Amino acid sequence: MTDELTEAKRHQIKERLKNIQSLPTIPPIVAKLNKMVEDEDMTATRLGVVIERDQVLTSKLLKMVNSSFFGFPQRISTVSNALVLLGFNVIKTLIVTSSIFEVMQASDVGLWEHSLGCALISSSIARKKGIKNPEEISTAGLIHDLGKVVVRAELPEDFQQLIQYAEKNNVSISEAEQKLLGIMHPEIGAWLAKQWNLPPRLVIPIRFHHNPEQAPEFKDVCAIIHFSNILIRGLGFGYAGDPWVPPLEHSAWEKIKLGKNEMKELLDELELKLLELIDFTSDFTKNSKKEA
Amino acid sequence: MPKVNVISSSSLFTEEETALLTAKGFELMFGGDISESVNSFLSQPPDLLIIEKDLPAAMDKTIIHTITKNLQLALMPIVLVSVKDKESLFCLDWNEYPVDEIFFAGASLQEKIARLDLALKRVEKVADNNPLTKLPGNTSILRHIQAILVRDQNEKQDTMVVGYVDIDNFKPYNDRYGFARGDEVIRMVARIFVNVVNEEAKLKGFVGHIGGDDFVFISPADKADTICQKVLANFSALIPLFIDEEEREAGCFISVDRRGNKQTFPITSLSIIGVMCSPGRYQHYGEVSQVAAQMKKKVKSLPGNNYLIDRRKD
Repeated sequence: MTDELTEAKRHQIKERLKNIQSLPTIPPIVAKLNKMVEDEDMTATRLGVVIERDQVLTSKLLKMVNSSFFGFPQRISTVSNALVLLGFNVIKTLIVTSSIFEVMQASDVGLWEHSLGCALISSSIARKKGIKNPEEISTAGLIHDLGKVVVRAELPEDFQQLIQYAEKNNVSISEAEQKLLGIMHPEIGAWLAKQWNLPPRLVIPIRFHHNPEQAPEFKDVCAIIHFSNILIRGLGFGYAGDPWVPPLEHSAWEKIKLGKNEMKELLDELELKLLELIDFTSDFTKNSKKEA
Repeated sequence: MPKVNVISSSSLFTEEETALLTAKGFELMFGGDISESVNSFLSQPPDLLIIEKDLPAAMDKTIIHTITKNLQLALMPIVLVSVKDKESLFCLDWNEYPVDEIFFAGASLQEKIARLDLALKRVEKVADNNPLTKLPGNTSILRHIQAILVRDQNEKQDTMVVGYVDIDNFKPYNDRYGFARGDEVIRMVARIFVNVVNEEAKLKGFVGHIGGDDFVFISPADKADTICQKVLANFSALIPLFIDEEEREAGCFISVDRRGNKQTFPITSLSIIGVMCSPGRYQHYGEVSQVAAQMKKKVKSLPGNNYLIDRRKD
């Protein structure tokens, strides 16, 4: 594609983003939440436990709490803080009105699992490194691939072409994005997150999770997300759109620098936590298959 | 220009009507689908909401109830529209449909405009709410307190607690961080109270904003401790987000005191005072606030977040 064409495409995508109010997510998680809100004794906190296991619902919640009406622009970056400010009734409405993929594809579940896995690793590393507010890092890990959901939901035809191109040419989805759209998912995701008024501490890691060295701020957070994204792909949990493990940036690794023992501890810890996560996600996908 | 959101699955206005309404000064917003329009009105509430009756999955009722239960949206007028027939609007239970106005989609444009105008006019009359937090203001607060004081003592009634809340060191905080951030903190406290009181006391609860950094809440006595504890826990979790990193770590900030002298202040905290109002104990709200004023000195002298509920037996 020529530069002019990709420039036009970029522009078209940006225009499209302006009108995105909400993104769809996988049906089983919405079905579970819809059931939960029927319970008279349900609390916002209990809903939050499930919401923070979905990248779309989490970003939707953060969009709401950072909106001008609620009046905390770019301030709130975690689900638990959002819950306290939004309250049960608002969250209930968000759930009841959330949209779902009409046809759930295997890749939707794969991306969801990939996001959860990345969040899990990010928060483990943040805790290990004694970084303040690990929950915020976990959120950044969870929503780092928001741009991929945007492409899948808003540009379905381009999405199909991307997959075909990547498979045919044996390249990563990112490379296909650059070739066909002239823009890659980190930039798309960051545009949307910025438009939704999410705090820079979340927008910047979304934008720079492939090239953390270039981040203007929060380089340590970006490095953690970068590494977690690579590690979860390497561990083979979830599916981020292609079978390739992206290259690790040296400077990012320098920032995290886990020693041999620390790394072993992390992997041991992750093994257990990933088993729990697999339990959780397979429960969901199993049930949805039954319902379908 | 009144902003009007329309939530419907079918078209409630003809193209011509939409054009005429726009010419009349109504800024109409139609969402692409229902969930989109709901999202848009929750993040940017309009001046009025038009909603179609009998949306799929009883979404109309869910949305109406969310708005009326949300103290910050409760004043927004809701107009219910029937597409099928006029008659179904006339025999509704208004507790089930707490709306402000109704019309039939097939009615004349004149009638529709008149009804929208009326719904908007009516709100102006009840605007006692605080502009910053949208919480009920002093008139409503007095009315609510008075209402629990004059309850019939012979009937078995819950003992209620009237809680007075204020933010410690709010003025120096405002001087240090500026009004915009001070306003955010006030909104934060308002949201926390509304949500905790709603969740714990349901319909028996009330939250009002006296003004500045002073709030009032009312709840059944057996819920008061939980409410205070949860509010203080939530406040402690959120207040660090409103303090710059260095000062957060130091646990204090530098600002000027009432006399204009530079001074170190501890991180902003909350003080809550609860006055037990068993039926018949007090006759007038003045007595309640007097008890609160006495207790205030004690709570204010303690550092950090604190609450104190008066448990004296007459």
